[in-house]
Amino acid sequence: MKLEWEHLTSLQLDALKEVVNIGAGNAATALSKLLKRSVTMEVPKAELIPVYEVAEKYGAPETPVCAVLIRCEGEFSGNVIFLMEEGEAFRLSEILISQDLGSLDDTTKEEIRDSVNAEVGNIIIGAFLSAISLLVGSPLPSTVPAVAHDMLGSIMDVVAALYGMAGDVALMSKTTLNVIGEDSEVRGTVVLVPDPDSLETLLKKLGVF
Amino acid sequence: MSTVLHVGMADLVTAKHPATLISLGLGSCIGIAIYDEVAKLAGMAHIMLPESRGENTSKPGKFADTAVCALVNELLQMGASKGRLKAKMAGGAQMFALGGKGSSILSVGDRNVEATKRALSSLDIPLVAFDVGGNKGRSVEFRTDRWILIVKVIGSAVKEL
Repeated sequence: MKLEWEHLTSLQLDALKEVVNIGAGNAATALSKLLKRSVTMEVPKAELIPVYEVAEKYGAPETPVCAVLIRCEGEFSGNVIFLMEEGEAFRLSEILISQDLGSLDDTTKEEIRDSVNAEVGNIIIGAFLSAISLLVGSPLPSTVPAVAHDMLGSIMDVVAALYGMAGDVALMSKTTLNVIGEDSEVRGTVVLVPDPDSLETLLKKLGVF
Repeated sequence: MSTVLHVGMADLVTAKHPATLISLGLGSCIGIAIYDEVAKLAGMAHIMLPESRGENTSKPGKFADTAVCALVNELLQMGASKGRLKAKMAGGAQMFALGGKGSSILSVGDRNVEATKRALSSLDIPLVAFDVGGNKGRSVEFRTDRWILIVKVIGSAVKEL
């Protein structure tokens, strides 16, 4: 029998939360080394929600965000998205290149920011996936990162459509990383979207299926 | 003051003039407005996916085929005339470009556009204006005062269809 999202037990959801926890923990360490700053992590979430609420659960639909998506296809397949509010993505790129970008023209500023964000997303998602790869016990070939700067709602459409194809329920599995700055914090959210047919693989490996 | 109605994901909403129908942050989703200028009626659907494939859903607005049918039926019940119905739509973007198998999974926007066009033509409803595809998200607003669909994209000028 095909595993349906709505039939996930609370034990299985806890196991998925743990996957996000381990993945994001690895990502936080990677980010902290990269930035030479403390990075804290919020308690991960793994909840079942109606697929129609996917966009609004993450924030106001027109919030400008920077999103990096990597898809992996191996014994476990799925998509991982790293989301940051546009302003915070800017701040993170400034922290990373230790330079005030304010004096540059807009085009150059955006090019630098995009390139830095893609790289940060790549490192974070890569660290996240390598933790999952260890759990699954096999390599997870993944795509190069795809970056989008757009409205939160339109980015989350991707997630809603992926879950919507299988039914009316979506798994909201995410956690937020906080980069502690001298005067401000920068936050980013990691969202895991496992393919429905590989969820079973993951749960079996975790011993909860 | 006209009523402003928000059309959430997979919802469909109909209204009498004066009204404004809004769908925010459409990515691969489609915002479609079907209207009758004489009867002064309009409806909007926020379509997520192309085809229901006979799946029973409590949300007809979720799929292009069921959404268009349900929207038209609702408008006809309110007194619209089938021969006068027209449609305008926007959305169906591909937010992320990936190679390989990933591209087909993430290109649901194109399929939404095609399925919506098919559903309209099977009911002989002319699609008088559209702004679809590309890789940018859109917010749409349909106004019954001028029967226009206003399309907003981050970083671009506002379009009126």
